Amino acid sequence: MEVAVLLFGAAATREKSDRVTVVVGTEPTVQDVLTALHEQHPDLRFALPSAETGRLAVNRSFVRGEHPIREGDEVALITLVGGG
Amino acid sequence: MSSLHPVVIARVVDGPLTPMVEQAALLAEVWSRAREAAGPAAPGVVGAALRFEGIVRRGEPSEAHGGDEHELLALDYQTYDPMAEQELRALARQIAEEHALSSLVALHSRGRVATGEVSFVLMVESPHRAEAIAAMSVFIDRLKQDVPIWKRPVWK
Repeated sequence: MEVAVLLFGAAATREKSDRVTVVVGTEPTVQDVLTALHEQHPDLRFALPSAETGRLAVNRSFVRGEHPIREGDEVALITLVGGG
Repeated sequence: MSSLHPVVIARVVDGPLTPMVEQAALLAEVWSRAREAAGPAAPGVVGAALRFEGIVRRGEPSEAHGGDEHELLALDYQTYDPMAEQELRALARQIAEEHALSSLVALHSRGRVATGEVSFVLMVESPHRAEAIAAMSVFIDRLKQDVPIWKRPVWK
């Protein structure tokens, strides 16, 4: 299964794109997508030094670990934010 | 004694937070809130009112310049919509409850804000100063952790 992941801030600048795609197994979880991002997109490692420290939003809510990713979900990598 | 129903307003608005923009954002919220308000807070409840403004500085550390401070024209605030405003609101409600505030207003810019302009306004009211000061500090720390807003420098 392919999962498109939205990028923002410095991660989008570094990838020169507002999204990347990762290839994962048939019933992926948040942790699987973070691991795939780390392995398949080395340019993102500055913002995702390890899969364990990453944060994803799925359908605009923070989710972690074993939360399943389904076809059609909106998945976003929430790297270090900097509002204020 | 604090208000049982603190007034909480949290919005992301386009561009710098000039007094006119801030007033317009607040008026829109106040009108909608007035329809659903349970009632006005009792007079004399508020003993402390604080206002914080985040202002774009002229200098930021630049990766391209070895981490040294470099001169800025502006910051471009990128928000993940509508999650940014959802998280801002959730945070505002949580902090207002945790610190027993009478009110909390948080406004954050989206898009370009030039140096010297305001990109973030936070106002809190509470019965005593300690809660208001603590709430303000915790809110800003949490904003920087949990609200999906990123700033991109526009170098001079």
